[in-house]
Amino acid sequence: MTITDASPGTDTPADPSGSPGEPVEIDQGSTAGTDHKVIGTLFIAASLLFLLVGGALAAMMRSQLSAPDMTFVGENTYRQLFTMHGVVMVFLFLLPLWLGLVTALVPLQIGATRMAFPRVHALSLWLFVGGAALVAAAPLVSDAVGGWTLSDPLPVGPEFTGEGVDLLILGLIVVAVSAITVAVNVLVTVLQLRAPGLTMARIPLFTWSATVSAAVMLLALPVLVAGLLMLFIDRHYGGLVFTGFTGSRGGNPVLWPRMFWFAVYPLLWALLLPALGAVSDIVPVFSRRRLFSHHRAVPAIAAIGVLSFAGWGSEVASLRRARPLFALGVLLILVPVASLILNWLATAAKARKSDDKAFKEGMQSLPMLHALGAVTLLGVGLAGELVAGIDAGGQSHRNYWGVATQHTLFFGAAFVGAVAALYFWAPKLWGRHLSEKLGRLQFAALVGGMHLAFLPMFVLGIQDMSRHTGTFTKSDNFGPANLVASVGGGILILGVLLLILNLLVSVVAGRGEAAGSDPWGGHTLEWSTTSPPPADNFRVLPEVRSETPLLDLDQSERTF
Amino acid sequence: MTAVTAAAPTDTTPAPVAGAPLALPSGVKPSPARVLPDRTRVLGTYLFMVADAMVLAAMIAAYFAVKDGSSAWPPVDVGVGTYIPFVITITVTMAAASAQWAINAMRQNDQRNVGIALLLTAFLGVATANVEWAAFDKAGFGVGDHAYGTFYYLLIGFHMVHLVVAVVLLLLLAGRSLAAHFTADHHDPLKSGVLFFQYTNGIWYAVFTVVFVFSRVHG
Repeated sequence: MTITDASPGTDTPADPSGSPGEPVEIDQGSTAGTDHKVIGTLFIAASLLFLLVGGALAAMMRSQLSAPDMTFVGENTYRQLFTMHGVVMVFLFLLPLWLGLVTALVPLQIGATRMAFPRVHALSLWLFVGGAALVAAAPLVSDAVGGWTLSDPLPVGPEFTGEGVDLLILGLIVVAVSAITVAVNVLVTVLQLRAPGLTMARIPLFTWSATVSAAVMLLALPVLVAGLLMLFIDRHYGGLVFTGFTGSRGGNPVLWPRMFWFAVYPLLWALLLPALGAVSDIVPVFSRRRLFSHHRAVPAIAAIGVLSFAGWGSEVASLRRARPLFALGVLLILVPVASLILNWLATAAKARKSDDKAFKEGMQSLPMLHALGAVTLLGVGLAGELVAGIDAGGQSHRNYWGVATQHTLFFGAAFVGAVAALYFWAPKLWGRHLSEKLGRLQFAALVGGMHLAFLPMFVLGIQDMSRHTGTFTKSDNFGPANLVASVGGGILILGVLLLILNLLVSVVAGRGEAAGSDPWGGHTLEWSTTSPPPADNFRVLPEVRSETPLLDLDQSERTF
Repeated sequence: MTAVTAAAPTDTTPAPVAGAPLALPSGVKPSPARVLPDRTRVLGTYLFMVADAMVLAAMIAAYFAVKDGSSAWPPVDVGVGTYIPFVITITVTMAAASAQWAINAMRQNDQRNVGIALLLTAFLGVATANVEWAAFDKAGFGVGDHAYGTFYYLLIGFHMVHLVVAVVLLLLLAGRSLAAHFTADHHDPLKSGVLFFQYTNGIWYAVFTVVFVFSRVHG
């Protein structure tokens, strides 16, 4: 496969059944068990499984909250529901989804034949599966309460002796270690295995955001590991780090939330970053032009990574004196995000001026639609975070305003960005387009459902409904907004089911339209190989002279 | 991969004239999948150490957060001697020197000295772990007696776990160097292993400072 006969439209779809062609040397180090695309796909599959679990938990909570005085689940059950929902969605869904997409795509985007450490990559996958199984088993063994931050209350002491909490803690440690090993692998791959000519300033923005995200995880997740380890020692060996405070013998009871949020606030941004990178790669391709300003996007993405460490204290109630500092941290991080959004909009706006018909086609394609959907969620989420940031450590973090913000920004925008990435790169990774019809329906349900579910939560925040409220009475006036949110939640779940159905029908059952090597007119190296790529990714690489190597190749065929 | 068939002839096509629109034969062959650029493993080791150091840093931060909230640190009835920590520190320093001897010998392609130095380093590592065990044994307090005790066992134990891993690595590397797996120019696994061992020694110096030096500084 060469670039010359890979120009859009002229290329024969890859035959997934395979046929005798040039003998392919498959290196022992990159057979299926350590092929980054296979491992990445398995990560994605695992994450979608846990999305269904987390979604089912959310469905039960939304049913309980759909009307005043509901008795669908009891108070204790409700506490377990929101604990497990949060843990599953962050650590078992969003985290592996990006670990999968990133490791499947980054070597392709930088013209590498493999991850730097393929066997460590395989180890990460199986560590994740083991850790996730421990976490998932937790509520089956004994009550897992305390919220996903494990701090309402901290599960230490005679009333929290259940082994379920142990499974939760150990499982989270294993999952975090798995993510750390992936982060090391991604960083080394990007630093060492780039194609000739692909300088760090030229790497695709998805790869760059994945790199920054990996660096953030590398620094943040170990803190979570340390905290969980000390929590385990407190629970089991009578350790006194987080408990007690009896003169000189006890620990520090306000320490846990600080350690948790120091690690997890950057982690949440690290899980949003690849979405921003994916949209940054998608928008230019469908606008049929280069990104408005690549050299502004690169530092913006890096700045998000750095500043993500500046806002963690806004989530902690006990840091009153440092509030202005953390409020500033949150406000500062919104600047580079806003700059990225403007960058995308400027790219699309320039495209609209030049050619209306091509513009319309591009804007209506599914990856682009989802990118725009992610922008709407980003907009709402940033507004929410702006208010929550100014109110650092305050009430808005303990009522539904915080819930709404976190769901819109760190679930909504991150997830819809990932779905955009799935529609964009599914043809490359698996050789099949996702279904267009199902996709449009799913887009409407997913993005519409999210807005319908999360916007009323802002209202509930203004009404000061506490984030852990499991039931309310008529006089609270929480009824209407909760009902709308519950209906929205139902539609959102329909969108999730349609997405999974689409993946099953189009990719797993192989009924999607077969994709050529470059179905979208892509800009970056992954589109220069076959779809799906061979085990070692590339037979030959184009010369790289800019951040859009494929645009440099067939410049004569496109208008700029 | 039908499309691959089309690639066969292009591989032999001559490179295009400069200035002509770029078409792929001028493209480059990706490097074979089994070859890693030099120092890739070393870089991986460095990054792993960064993550691991963050675990230690978080524990040390917790140590100071708890210390600052305590009225006496360590509790008045607790006395940790100076003998054991200094014996450990001296042993660790000797081990660090002998690990560096292994690397220097490798650079001169002196396989025999590499083997001897690695075995000596491993021996000193085991000796260190042994004295640490004595530090636990003779401490006179347990994990659950007070917060200082918790950190005492946690931080020294953190070093000990790394030491055990490092000793196993050193023994494997000693075997490999005696089997002449490494040359003066190519010994990334040895570099990585020794790097990890030196990092482990760094952990000890940090633990020593925090647990034994700062326990005497009263704020």
